[in-house]
Amino acid sequence: MSYFLQLVFSGVVVGSIYALAAIGFVLIYKSSRVLNLAHGQLIAAGAYITYILTVWVGIPIYLSFVMSMIITFFLAMSVERIFLRRLIGEPIISVIMVTIGLMSIIDGVIYLTPFGSENFSFPAFLPTEPIMLWGTYLSYTQVVGVIITFVLIGAFSWFFKKSTVGISMRAVSDDQMASMSIGISVPKVFGLAWATAGLTAAAAGGILGNIVGLNFDTLHAFGIIVFPVVILGGLDSLPGAVVAGIIMGLTQQFASGYLDGNWGLNGTADLLPYIILLVLLLFKPHGLFGTHEIERV
Amino acid sequence: MATGNYFTTYREEQRIFFTHIDGLLFALFLASFFLWPFFIELSSKYMLILDNILIAVIAVYGLNLVTGFGGLISVGHAAFVGVGAYTVACLAQIIGDQHVVITHAWPLMILAAGITGAVFGFIVGLPALRLKHLYLLMATLSFQLIFQWVVGFMDFFNQGQFIYVGRVFWFTGEVGRSVHYRFWYYVLLVTVVMLGFGVRNLLRTRYGRSLVAVRDNDRAADAMGMHPGFTKVFAFGLAGFFAGIAGAMQAYLNRGAGFETFTLHESIQYLAMTIVGGLGSLPGSFFGPAAIKILDLQMENLAGWAGNVLPSSLDLATGLRPLSFGLIIVLFLMFEPRGIANWWRILRSYVKLWPFRY
Repeated sequence: MSYFLQLVFSGVVVGSIYALAAIGFVLIYKSSRVLNLAHGQLIAAGAYITYILTVWVGIPIYLSFVMSMIITFFLAMSVERIFLRRLIGEPIISVIMVTIGLMSIIDGVIYLTPFGSENFSFPAFLPTEPIMLWGTYLSYTQVVGVIITFVLIGAFSWFFKKSTVGISMRAVSDDQMASMSIGISVPKVFGLAWATAGLTAAAAGGILGNIVGLNFDTLHAFGIIVFPVVILGGLDSLPGAVVAGIIMGLTQQFASGYLDGNWGLNGTADLLPYIILLVLLLFKPHGLFGTHEIERV
Repeated sequence: MATGNYFTTYREEQRIFFTHIDGLLFALFLASFFLWPFFIELSSKYMLILDNILIAVIAVYGLNLVTGFGGLISVGHAAFVGVGAYTVACLAQIIGDQHVVITHAWPLMILAAGITGAVFGFIVGLPALRLKHLYLLMATLSFQLIFQWVVGFMDFFNQGQFIYVGRVFWFTGEVGRSVHYRFWYYVLLVTVVMLGFGVRNLLRTRYGRSLVAVRDNDRAADAMGMHPGFTKVFAFGLAGFFAGIAGAMQAYLNRGAGFETFTLHESIQYLAMTIVGGLGSLPGSFFGPAAIKILDLQMENLAGWAGNVLPSSLDLATGLRPLSFGLIIVLFLMFEPRGIANWWRILRSYVKLWPFRY
């Protein structure tokens, strides 16, 4: 029983980081219909910037976490400004291919730094002895990570529901032409969507780096699992991203807890999300909460 | 050479060569590819690069059908190539890498690998029956990752370690080490020419035209009686076929198959070749692989040179490669979306009309 609970807890921890990462992805898709394939690389960049600020520069981690979010905010905004702004009006397929190119570029840049080949881990800033809860062990980092994640998710939900900028972003996602006619600057909203996505990506990267350490392969794999998560939740649904993130985290933990080692299976946690993705695409492509688009000639 | 458009019937417009001189020039051009190895001796390093370019051309034919003519992004093309390579390699592992089926019946093996690739292409393309391009990108991505997992974790595939394939036999006996690359150069060249004509003719058929129609406007194509879903699924199947053939030849050329040539980075490299060559253009399928492979070689040279100069323990090539491919994808999409094929088109019309400007 406690083994089961342990899996549930770690599933929720990982899943909530997936949710945070997926929110940024959904944001970009919602506002500009672009699938940002470089999102995982933004997450990795956020994690590394946090590490550089904390360890190499020596800023306290609470401050460096916020600073890396701000830096990635501007990084993502400039990516949009430099590469994607001039492609507005081009076919969406070429915009997506540009993000594939960006993914490759950021990968290359990271491989050129020491981060590409070596492992790093954040210095412990919270008490290291685990918390006992119903016979399971939880680390302080995990608990704090989940709390930060849910606070951020709550803040973003409020931002989209209530603030003027958030409302204009939702308006653009609904109808670009109409929102232009009521005075919303659509390019500005696109830039802001990218910037906010960068912000959430940096937050997810920072928390993830604290929990699992900084290994580029791990961060890379993490970034790609965001795709099954967003398809499961529905590409354009923010609550869907949160729910699907947690479902995916639990699925992975159960897979590695119960499947691995039995029947000669190994590493199923890395495989299962993609099998789910393929099956979903065949039977329920709009996910749990996505809108069904009705097309008429 | 025709300097303009002088067609009087639709039939004339459909011809591959507009005049006899066009055909003759093309034949001469082709013959030069077959004849030059008799006059110039190339070191096996460069011969291998040439062979790799030709293999990439075959794979890019397939990717160009899906991405260029079909308008569907595929980021799993290296996995399809891998399916082809592992068809040969796994059979070699089961029946022994010197078995007569592997060494003597290699043309059949290559065909079988193509068909296996096509089957996988159909399966991965199935979501196309319901969905549009964004979701298909996800399907190919998940296929790529599932492929990597299956090959990397299962004992049957030697957990991604190299699986050997024996040397092939020709009428003159075993193809030895000294002529290995040159032998495969000719085999590849013949395959590239045959498949090239195949693609060119495919695009003139009912299917090829409906593929382009579905890319341009799937709803209008649907209204005109085509089936967009099946057209796309079939495009994936064809892409899988080309990729499978390329993979099988790669397995024979490298005398085996290993995991690291079929990763996501390789898929992006194929995509870069297609984009740089020119999406939806047959000449582009030749320019793209050549340009990217040459860039790859230069990057390796640069990394080697920088490794000597800089006191660094980093492997620069692993970083420079994705960096340069990503950069070239982005730059071409931003500044020359029609790729090198467009430069070729401009050059050709310039030569045809010279000394007049247009």
